[in-house]
Amino acid sequence: MRMRHGRRRTKAGRRQTTLRMTSMMDILTVLLLFLLKSFVVEGEVITPVPGVDLPESTSDGRPADSVVVAVFDDTIMLDGQAVGTIADALAGADPVIAPLAVRLDETRARGAEISRRRGDEDAFRGRVSIQGDRAIPFALLERVMFTCSHSGYADISLAVIGVS
Amino acid sequence: MRHTRRRSLRELIAEDLDTMPLMNLFVALIPMLLISAVFLNVTVIDMDGPAADAPDAAADAGPGLEIAVTGEAYTVRGRGLPPVRIARAGEEPQKLLAAALAEAAGRHPGNHEVTVVSLPDTRYDEIIAVMDIARGAGLPGVALRGAR
Repeated sequence: MRMRHGRRRTKAGRRQTTLRMTSMMDILTVLLLFLLKSFVVEGEVITPVPGVDLPESTSDGRPADSVVVAVFDDTIMLDGQAVGTIADALAGADPVIAPLAVRLDETRARGAEISRRRGDEDAFRGRVSIQGDRAIPFALLERVMFTCSHSGYADISLAVIGVS
Repeated sequence: MRHTRRRSLRELIAEDLDTMPLMNLFVALIPMLLISAVFLNVTVIDMDGPAADAPDAAADAGPGLEIAVTGEAYTVRGRGLPPVRIARAGEEPQKLLAAALAEAAGRHPGNHEVTVVSLPDTRYDEIIAVMDIARGAGLPGVALRGAR
C-alpha cells in the first residue's frame, strides 16, 4: 500500500510545470519602452540641485549646456559647489556678489582656456542657468543675475519645472 | 511517414519560447534605466539680458510696457496707455492681468517686450507666474527690473 502511494507521488512529481512568463514579459516590455521614451529628449537635460524647490511654469524652453548657479535655503552654489551664503549676498550696497563673481571669473577663464586649446576660441557662449528656490526674494535674484552678467555670463536662463 | 511528421509538428507548436535570455536582458536594463531616468520636466525661461557694460538702447524704444508687482496689486503701464491697476485680493487677478496685457499687446502689435518691475521682497515664484501670464498674452520677451 505504501509502495503504491509512493509510486503515485513519484509520478505526480515527474509532471513538468512551467512558469507563465507572458504577463511578466508584458510588464517588463511596457516599462522598458516607457523608460526608453523618457530618454528621447532634445538638448541638454538639467537635473535640479537637491534642496532647490523650483517654481512651476508653462515655459517649454529647452535647456542648453551651461554653468548652473543654484540659490536656495541660505546657500549659493556654482556647479554644485557652495560659494557663499544668501545673508552675505544681501548684505551691503554692492549689487555684485563678490565670491560668486570670483568663481564665475575662474570658470570663465577655465572655459576660455579649454576652448583655446581646442582651437575654437569663440566657443565661450556665456550661458548660465539659475536654479532659484521659489521662495527667494527678487532682491537676491537681481543680485545673482547682475553678478552673472558682470562676469560675462549674459545669456541667462531661469530653470523651472515645466507644467502643461 | 505521415504519422511521424504530424507528431513532430505538434511538438514544435507545444514547445515554449525560451524567454530567459530576454528576461536577463530586461532585468539588467530596467534598473539601469530607472536609476538614470529623469522624471521631472525641467525647462528654462531665457532672459537674454544685455551685458552689464552694454548701453541701455532698448529702454527708449517701443511702448515701454511694464507690469509693477506689489503685494496688493498688479499695475500695467506704458507709453500712451492709461495705467491699469488690478487688485490681487479681488476675483481672479491673473485673468484680469492677462486681459489687460492682451489689450496692451493688441495696441502695439509689433511689440513683444514687457518689463516686470518687482519689489525687493517679491517672491521668485510670483515673478515666474507673472512672466507666464505675459507670455500667454503674446509678450514672450520679459525683462526684470527692481522698483526704484
